[in-house]
Amino acid sequence: MTVLEVRGISKSFDGVQAVRDVSFAVNRGEILGFLGPNGAGKTTTIRMIIGIIQPDRGEIQFTLDGGSGEVDKERIGYLPEERGLYADAKVLDTLVYLAGLKGLSRSEARRRALSWLERFDLAEWARRKIEQLSKGMQQKIQFIAAVIHRPDLLVLDEPFSGLDPVNQDLFKEIIRELKDEGVAILLSSHQMNRVEELCDRIFLIHCGRRVLYGDLSEIKEAHGEHIVRLRYAGDASFLRTNQRIKNLRISGDWATFVLAKGVEPDAFIRNIPRELVIREIAVERPPLHDIFVAVVKGGENGTP
Amino acid sequence: MALRETKTKLGKVVAWEFRRAVMNKGFVIMTVLLPALIGLVILIYGLAEGRGASSVPSESLPPFLIAVFLALILFVGAFISGVIVFYGVLKEKASRVVELVLSSVSAKDMMAGKIIGLGLAGLIQAIVWAVLAYFAARRFLPITLAGLSPMQLVTYPLYFVFGYLLVATLYATAASTMKDVHSGGVQGMVGLIVYLPMVFLKILVEHPELPWVRAAGFFPPFTPSVMMIRMAVTEVAWWEVALSLALLAGTVFLLTRFAAKVFEVGILMYGKSATLREIWRWGLRSSRG
Repeated sequence: MTVLEVRGISKSFDGVQAVRDVSFAVNRGEILGFLGPNGAGKTTTIRMIIGIIQPDRGEIQFTLDGGSGEVDKERIGYLPEERGLYADAKVLDTLVYLAGLKGLSRSEARRRALSWLERFDLAEWARRKIEQLSKGMQQKIQFIAAVIHRPDLLVLDEPFSGLDPVNQDLFKEIIRELKDEGVAILLSSHQMNRVEELCDRIFLIHCGRRVLYGDLSEIKEAHGEHIVRLRYAGDASFLRTNQRIKNLRISGDWATFVLAKGVEPDAFIRNIPRELVIREIAVERPPLHDIFVAVVKGGENGTP
Repeated sequence: MALRETKTKLGKVVAWEFRRAVMNKGFVIMTVLLPALIGLVILIYGLAEGRGASSVPSESLPPFLIAVFLALILFVGAFISGVIVFYGVLKEKASRVVELVLSSVSAKDMMAGKIIGLGLAGLIQAIVWAVLAYFAARRFLPITLAGLSPMQLVTYPLYFVFGYLLVATLYATAASTMKDVHSGGVQGMVGLIVYLPMVFLKILVEHPELPWVRAAGFFPPFTPSVMMIRMAVTEVAWWEVALSLALLAGTVFLLTRFAAKVFEVGILMYGKSATLREIWRWGLRSSRG
């Protein structure tokens, strides 16, 4: 079920077009990876979804309980990339206030805030002032503020930046839980490995335009050539002279290369001659990182 | 969104801003500790002197003095609260809390909440100081509240409220378009135009009937200070009071609409201060649907 549908939105500032005719949807219980190089129009798009700025053209539709309409600020949660809290206010007060703006009663907000603080191991900080917290702790507080009202649409902008690996895992775990509870999640991140771990589908924006959109595995299928890592013994001249592979690198007894387009791994492996002994072999799709770089640098324009 | 919902949200923002303002150390010192200390000193001084009234001859004291004092306290109180709004907005912009809050409330409510919340705190402060000043002055001067006319009692609070709204809105708008506290420029000065008449306080008190002084009373930024002082020292026709208040209220109304649109754009712009031309364009662009 689609929770958020964005149809052909455009926005320009002082004659500079930041977003051009962008469309996508986020469904219940899925995580859509929202990718793009710096300055591609990500923040502008997110601000339009949140309702902080209005698109010049196009439509943003929010569907809940069968009814559709404008974005309801009480049903969305937002962790902005620009992080900040009221430095002079206390942790618990801040959370109760922000949850109150999302429509929670004071007592309910308190109860949930305390249980989230517990979960993030910050319970004893509840009565401290925000300015006494470390950056990572403040990030947790903001994360709590984004999810405390159990939003139907959660927008996370670079949630992992600045967190240590342990806390990255904790965030990841909670994001997965929310997804399983049916929250539609839009996750913007430059950390491609995190995106690969979490996202079902991705959306890549470049120069304000959509350049990739769809199932992560399908995109990898469509864009990825196969990467082969091979530990071998014997004669490697088969590889050195092979026209069906490229980017061959040999170091020690490891050979790494890319299969040319249209070359199937199975056929390739069956053709390896006896003189080349396979000790270990792995055939992989390239990481999302490589696809991202290739698409952004190559100015590719294919939209599935 | 339903109107009621907007109203309760604005109420929550107001309550939050008010609470943070009065919990602030500076506010507690200025509004509770310092006045209490001064009050104590006056009390002890009075006990030591005996309960008798002061020996200052009453003829030497102009009867309008209390009204001038009141006007000054109200005006300066409103002005200082406006400056506090200025720093509040700048601080929030610098701390980047803005984007998070805007995912829950509109920029308009955010700005209005800050202005109203801090205004209430400022009002408390002004009342405390006015009461304290009254009792302090009474120890040494034969001052009574009878020096105030009913017209003053009704209109001074109005001048205070609209004067504050004018300064605070100017400062909130200015702050929203500034890069940081240090970027200075014309924005930091904008509220001072309201303060300008105070430079000519002596002329205001001594020659309240000069044509250009009377005219200045109808120029909305000057209205609160000029009219309150004039009313303190001379008879002012009721139509002058009514007209000046109407002009002031109308200006505040138009300014808040203009300011809300500027604020909406400015508060999310980081890295540079807006030029006056940009501010003008933002403020006049048509309201969004």
